[in-house]
Amino acid sequence: MPWLIAFVLPAFVIVVAVQFYPLAYSALLSVQEWSLTKSQAPEGFVGLENFVKELGDETFRRSVRNSVWITGGAVVLEMLLGVCLAYLTMGSSWRMRAVRTLLILPMVIAPVAAGTLWRILLNYRAGLVNHLLGLIGVQGPEWLASPDWAIVSVILLDTWQWTPFVLLVAGAAIASIPGDLLEVAAIDGASRWKTFAYIELPLLTPLLLLTLVFRMLESLLSLDSIYSLTFGGPGFSTYTMTFYIYTQGLRNFNFGAAAASSWIFMAFASVSIALVFWFQRKDW
Amino acid sequence: MRRRKSLRQRLFSVIHAFVLALACLVVIVPLGYLIINSIKLPREFLTIPPTILPTEVTFEHYQELIDDKKTVRYFQNSLTVAVWTTGVTILTGTLAAYGLARARLSAKILALVTFTFLFIRFYPRVTTVIPFFLVMRQFDLLDTVWAIVIGQLGITIPFVTWLMLVVFQDLPSEIEEAAVVDGASVWQRFSRVVLPIVMPSVSAAAILTAFLSWNEFLIASSVARRKASVLSIAVASFVSDKGIQWGPMAAMSVVMIVPMIVFALFAQKYLIRGITFGAVKG
Repeated sequence: MPWLIAFVLPAFVIVVAVQFYPLAYSALLSVQEWSLTKSQAPEGFVGLENFVKELGDETFRRSVRNSVWITGGAVVLEMLLGVCLAYLTMGSSWRMRAVRTLLILPMVIAPVAAGTLWRILLNYRAGLVNHLLGLIGVQGPEWLASPDWAIVSVILLDTWQWTPFVLLVAGAAIASIPGDLLEVAAIDGASRWKTFAYIELPLLTPLLLLTLVFRMLESLLSLDSIYSLTFGGPGFSTYTMTFYIYTQGLRNFNFGAAAASSWIFMAFASVSIALVFWFQRKDW
Repeated sequence: MRRRKSLRQRLFSVIHAFVLALACLVVIVPLGYLIINSIKLPREFLTIPPTILPTEVTFEHYQELIDDKKTVRYFQNSLTVAVWTTGVTILTGTLAAYGLARARLSAKILALVTFTFLFIRFYPRVTTVIPFFLVMRQFDLLDTVWAIVIGQLGITIPFVTWLMLVVFQDLPSEIEEAAVVDGASVWQRFSRVVLPIVMPSVSAAAILTAFLSWNEFLIASSVARRKASVLSIAVASFVSDKGIQWGPMAAMSVVMIVPMIVFALFAQKYLIRGITFGAVKG
């Protein structure tokens, strides 16, 4: 037993020091008045004032709305495209394996680099995307300069980078469906569509739901790609929760406010994490 | 006897091939265009229509990066951070996972441990970044690679522990029983019997850790903006600068992306297992 404790101890100490101590510290900050530009040390306990102020803050509310749109749009697209592509790339022929290898590449790219890459592609005048749209007679929008299209751009980037994740998980799930189940259905005269709707989809649902929550959380938490694609702009139109908290804390140095808004965010994330936990342990 | 395919089936296979080809293009074209941009002459950047095939190939952007002492340092810093993070993570994470797997924890405690790992992976990390910044300031570690390494360890150690915990739990205990009978200590059992068997999983974990560390941005950008800056910060910094330098930005992105793509092609199986791990196993 002493050996086992010695095994676990180093990891335990590091995790407590680097994760749980800062978490507690952050909770403490959230109820204090502290802005580094005004003072080098916290300026006292203010109760829930930071929370009230943040919840009423226009930029904060806007980032919540943006987050909902971006994450909602991206995750729906990723699930649909990912599952379709998983079906289309089934099989173990070398061609399908090559296609799969190729399709997962966006996922291994650093999100910051993916952001700069799409910044180049989406340039209004000289970008490749608008050029290609022009070839088929479509006048491309001002992707990164118009508030609405900037949101669409962020959704496109997230979808481009993370559809492969859904493809991989869904592909593994589809491949694990027993083949005889599908044969029986075919013998009984079920159409391909009916087999999918009544046999495969119910079997896939638990894992797909889990994947959905996973993607939702990761998309909400992502900072890197927005940082390098739009930097929250134009104006505040692509500020997400994460980006807002980051700029509040590490650009404006409003530690109290940033900590308070991050705990509001945390409450929501905790519910989602509990959901993941519940999905994983449930017997479907 | 081969039956002729019906019209419908043929139509379907044409659409199938078309959709897959389109999907592949959506992946390849942006990546290819990035590489083209990194070897394009500066005057061809903002041309209308965009220059897809440059008239002349130039390596001046890469040359510029190599000549710039800062870039070389960023690259070295990224490498240092990845090596240290991976080394320490694998060492402590594997040991901790083995300890947890063999400690015969009750189901409740094990569930708590699992929930903690899940929580650490998915809570809004931006919450702890500010306190972490303050702690690093207190220890006078701001703007050092060590601050980045320590910060990343907080993410990678729980992740690797979780990954390896499943591996050790799947290992039948009979394997170790012979060693127990021979009077081997826990350490001997671990290092001589168990470790050689799980080595493939350990390498998978190592590959994944190196990958996460190399691409990481949030922690690095919050504690090390200047001297100890890494590639991910350098790539992102092109954006806020006045007048984007398209060439160096493309070249820098290529420098950051290419190692990971090569990595992914060679260690695909491991990388995929790690990335999708949380979703498939819990």
